[in-house]
Amino acid sequence: MTAEISIRNVSMEFPTPDGVKHVLNDISYDVNQHHFVSIVGPSGVGKTTLLRLLTGLMKPTSGEIQVHGERISGAPKGLAVVLQDYTRSLMPWLTIEKNIALPLRNQKLGKAETRERIESSLEEVGLSGTGGNYPWQMSGGMQQRASIARALAVRPTILVMDEPFASVDAQTRFDLEDLVLKVRADFGITTLMVTHDIDEAVYLSDEIVVLHGRPAGVRDVVVVDIPFPRSQIETRNDQRFTELRTHVYAMVRGLE
Amino acid sequence: MSIAGRIPPWIVSMLLALAFWQVAASVGPISDSSIPTAVDSVTTLVQLLGQSETWIALGQTVAIAAIGFALSLLIALPLGILIGLSRFAFTSTKFVFDFFKVIPPIVIIPITILALGPTFQMGVFLVVFGLVFALAIQTAYGVRDADPVLLDTMRAYRQGIVTQIRYARLPSAASFIAVGIRISATAALVIAVVAGLIGGAPGLGRQLLLSQTGGLADQTFAIVLLLGVLGVLVSHGIEWSRRKVIFWEDR
Ligand SMILES: Nc1ncnc2c1ncn2[C@@H]1O[C@H](COP(=O)(O)OP(=O)(O)OP(=O)(O)O)[C@@H](O)[C@H]1O
Ligand SMILES: [Mg+2]
Repeated sequence: MTAEISIRNVSMEFPTPDGVKHVLNDISYDVNQHHFVSIVGPSGVGKTTLLRLLTGLMKPTSGEIQVHGERISGAPKGLAVVLQDYTRSLMPWLTIEKNIALPLRNQKLGKAETRERIESSLEEVGLSGTGGNYPWQMSGGMQQRASIARALAVRPTILVMDEPFASVDAQTRFDLEDLVLKVRADFGITTLMVTHDIDEAVYLSDEIVVLHGRPAGVRDVVVVDIPFPRSQIETRNDQRFTELRTHVYAMVRGLE
Repeated sequence: MSIAGRIPPWIVSMLLALAFWQVAASVGPISDSSIPTAVDSVTTLVQLLGQSETWIALGQTVAIAAIGFALSLLIALPLGILIGLSRFAFTSTKFVFDFFKVIPPIVIIPITILALGPTFQMGVFLVVFGLVFALAIQTAYGVRDADPVLLDTMRAYRQGIVTQIRYARLPSAASFIAVGIRISATAALVIAVVAGLIGGAPGLGRQLLLSQTGGLADQTFAIVLLLGVLGVLVSHGIEWSRRKVIFWEDR
């Protein structure tokens, strides 16, 4: 398997009024093509910082990030994002359709093709026929589906999600997790997801990266050897699932 | 529903205020003064509305306010957007703009008269001076207020600066600008009147000055009433359009 994303000896420091804050220390990790990788770790450890480096929104203090072997400067091509705060990442002044259409403008598609992308991505997330609504006319779960549709519409090779399901209720969360599994099965997009929910990480991932320490380093990379397809009830009752979640949990808490 | 329940509350309160004025000025504590009663003032207003001079003066005041207001927007919006886009420009100009913002236009009337005389242009200049700084700052604040999460999302999708301005910065500035516009529109009217009242610029302000110095109390109060009605119409009109344009708020 080839590495889609290579994180090479990345360190990140922030200048603050009380001196330099060293957040990430010498992180190295390769994300394989078509893999689903979760990043877990205690609050404030630097997960969002790592994702922001990956999306090219910030430059690492040292080290580099490569996509397909090329060092990134700025957001890499073929990237899509889904953030926790859907109310702030969708534009209230545009309909769902127009929200989805906006990132497509870079690709200079024709009218018909744009339409087709919007329709098919809305259908993929189960929102067919709602494209004319404004985000604030929809429930939180629907808005997050719309953000996922926006991501899919660009036909990304890399999908980055920062706690995408942290702001929805438990039932919606299960539905959205299964939606992500379906998307993964349909498109095989290389995905990096930050989550606080260790069960969710185990349920969705091929690999889990555990960040720990101050400054944070990669404490462990856990391979989730549970076969696909997975299902909420069976997978979560699987003995391997229980072992893995216990193991990851202990590492996040620094117990192991 | 009873008939009383169908009368809009603003009519009720207005009628009450007029009734209170009537009583106070005819039998109340200020009945000895030269303050006319409500009935006299309203009657005079109706008479004034039958005269073309009143409409010409009204037109001049509205024109001064409207042209000054439009010029202010024309200057302040692009300026505010440019300033808001750069942190450096914002922090370095903010002090100067705040300084000018708090100078009431009335203060510069003497200088303005020296330069332009008691003219229409002087009125327009005063309105622009009174509005432009506050509007520019307000716009700059709005541009800066764009949600960082939204901007990050757009950058991650590799959307250029022009798209960011068009789709994130301007819409988020819109609600700030709307507040600025609502305040400015009525302020423009007030300044246009003051320009006439103190600076002698044409319009209702000058009519007010003339009736006042001529001891025409009924007429003075009638003009004040007219200005009040005008102000209410303007602020309601602006609020109505705000709701149409910035539809994603107030929901
Ligand atoms: N721009 C910045 N300037 C200074 N410090 C920052 C900046 N961004 C992040 N930090 C610091 O870096 C550390 C890691 O932040 P980060 O948001 O990456 O944590 P996180 O793991 O995502 O936390 P959470 O789970 O709560 O979302 C925190 O201590 C934070 O205060
Ligand atoms: Mg975070």
